[in-house]
Amino acid sequence: MIHFAVLDWIWIFLFIILMMGCGVLFYRLGKRSESDFFLAGRGLPWWLPASSVYATHTAVDTPMWVTGVVYKYGLTGIWYAFFAAWCAISAFVSTRIFRRSLAYTQAEWQGLRFGGLGGELLRGWMTGWQIFMTMFNMGWIGIAMGKICQYLFGWPAWFGLVGFSTLCAVYVMTSGYWGVVMADFQQGIIAFCAIIVVSIWGVKAAGGPNGIVDKLAVMGESWRLNPFHFTGLFSGDFPLAWFITMMVIAVIGGFGMGTNIDWYVEAQRIQSARSVRDASYTIWWGTALVILRNSIWAIAILGFFVLFPNIKDASQYEMGWFRLGFEFLPVGLVGFFFAAILAIHLSTVSSILNLGAMYATRDLYHHYINPQASQERLVRVGRLSTLLILVFSFFFGLMMNEITKWLIFALWIMAAGVWLPNILQVIWWRFNAWGYLSSWIANLGLSWLVVWILPMAGVLPNLPDYLQFWVLMGLTAFIYIPVTLLTKPENMDHLVRYYMMCRPLGFWGPVRREAEKRGLLLDVKRSA
Amino acid sequence: MGLLRRKWTPESAEQWTREDWIVILISPLAYVGIAVGTALVFFMTTIGLIVLGITMLFIILMHWIIDPKLKTISREYERKQKQYLIELEQTQRWEEVQ
Repeated sequence: MIHFAVLDWIWIFLFIILMMGCGVLFYRLGKRSESDFFLAGRGLPWWLPASSVYATHTAVDTPMWVTGVVYKYGLTGIWYAFFAAWCAISAFVSTRIFRRSLAYTQAEWQGLRFGGLGGELLRGWMTGWQIFMTMFNMGWIGIAMGKICQYLFGWPAWFGLVGFSTLCAVYVMTSGYWGVVMADFQQGIIAFCAIIVVSIWGVKAAGGPNGIVDKLAVMGESWRLNPFHFTGLFSGDFPLAWFITMMVIAVIGGFGMGTNIDWYVEAQRIQSARSVRDASYTIWWGTALVILRNSIWAIAILGFFVLFPNIKDASQYEMGWFRLGFEFLPVGLVGFFFAAILAIHLSTVSSILNLGAMYATRDLYHHYINPQASQERLVRVGRLSTLLILVFSFFFGLMMNEITKWLIFALWIMAAGVWLPNILQVIWWRFNAWGYLSSWIANLGLSWLVVWILPMAGVLPNLPDYLQFWVLMGLTAFIYIPVTLLTKPENMDHLVRYYMMCRPLGFWGPVRREAEKRGLLLDVKRSA
Repeated sequence: MGLLRRKWTPESAEQWTREDWIVILISPLAYVGIAVGTALVFFMTTIGLIVLGITMLFIILMHWIIDPKLKTISREYERKQKQYLIELEQTQRWEEVQ
């Protein structure tokens, strides 16, 4: 249990007032239209949504995750948190293409890229999946906050889950994405300052940078300072094969849409940027901050390792960064640290809440139920959806311990078999809705086989996860490639319309030539 | 025209060109540099300083190459965006898909 002084409580109340103020200040802007409630009218300069990219991807469980891998693997642990690097290529490829589509959501983009019944099926599937995922993520993050409050104040876990998520829902419901992005801006600054302050204090307590280096040498642990300390090609804790797989998944994934689970929330930030250029810089700079933050954390965690080198229990050392803050910061700054944890928590929760409400409103209500709905009604439905997602997320949060194992499996399989199709849908004109749908279905079945059933039957060895990725990617291709080639291409009118709007990269020759034939596109090479 | 183009017409900026591919190559390297350089420079290593210095050069170069093109694309696209938004609202109606 932690004892707060008066100054600590002042920090916390000031922060809550500042945050709630965002809701009140941007109420009028948020209620103007569906576009304002979910995309801030598509008019934001790049640095605002970029701060939101950074703030959203700093959740309360992120420092636990980063601390866990850095404590265990030293600086090589930063690569476990390097998945955000999909934005390196995405910022200049898929972000550019998606921003031009003007789709509110990835589900809507599916309807623009693929036509007819297949496109509608994909849009419906994506909508349902994303509404489910937002509730699941909310529950996951909410219960993590509940556990932190239990550790700090002895409150029951449900109280931290329900209390802070509800507080957040107030400003999300009031001003929609305007409130989210403005609050994220100040929350991002507070969180970044706290990360730097706590890290400095932690490193100082460990003897400063030189002290850490010297102590690691004395302990015979200097390898922890080498970010490329591979343990072999396929063997050990950090094989080169794992590193290469991770780099391929993260970096090459940037050519596609949805290759990383964070894509869906970033897609909203991309559309809220005022131009294609702003969208590119939103994604690039927001993620650069995420990567910078991970390295600052890594430095502090090495300090924590020097201070407490013999912790074996992962659940204990994963709390390392929080311990540095609560045990080493002076009185008065502890409240600031807790306010920063609140900032970290609320920025993630608010983004996910607004994202889920956008799928429910735009892709479910507006698209299927009431296409003629007025803007006023759409905003009202947006608010109601926010409330419903909040309430359902509580149920997920409270039963999280029981379902976590299954849902981690669900998250993992969603990444492996559909990773390549997520790229193909962007870069290959011939890839159609049936091919993409079949990849999702094949992936669901094959992942059970590869991960559990075949190893249990002794047909396949128990493969490490990075090898499972390659096996699943290869096996699903045997299904979706034939399905694609045996079914008709998308309607050419539909493809030409999509091409003219989005100008995708890759293998779009037949569509481009058709657009030129119709006089829609100037043949730049010939005209030059 | 030199190796890298910095003046774009709306038509030429719409094409995927050498400049895009150079940026696609540099950008992930810059992220690797930020991750490694930040951690190592804090421990006062020379290699950390070198990595971070090269990373900064990469970031400047990346923006120098791609910014004129992105500006041209954005200007041209914003001109068309209003019409595209109207079309989007029309084509996304469920009834029209039937």
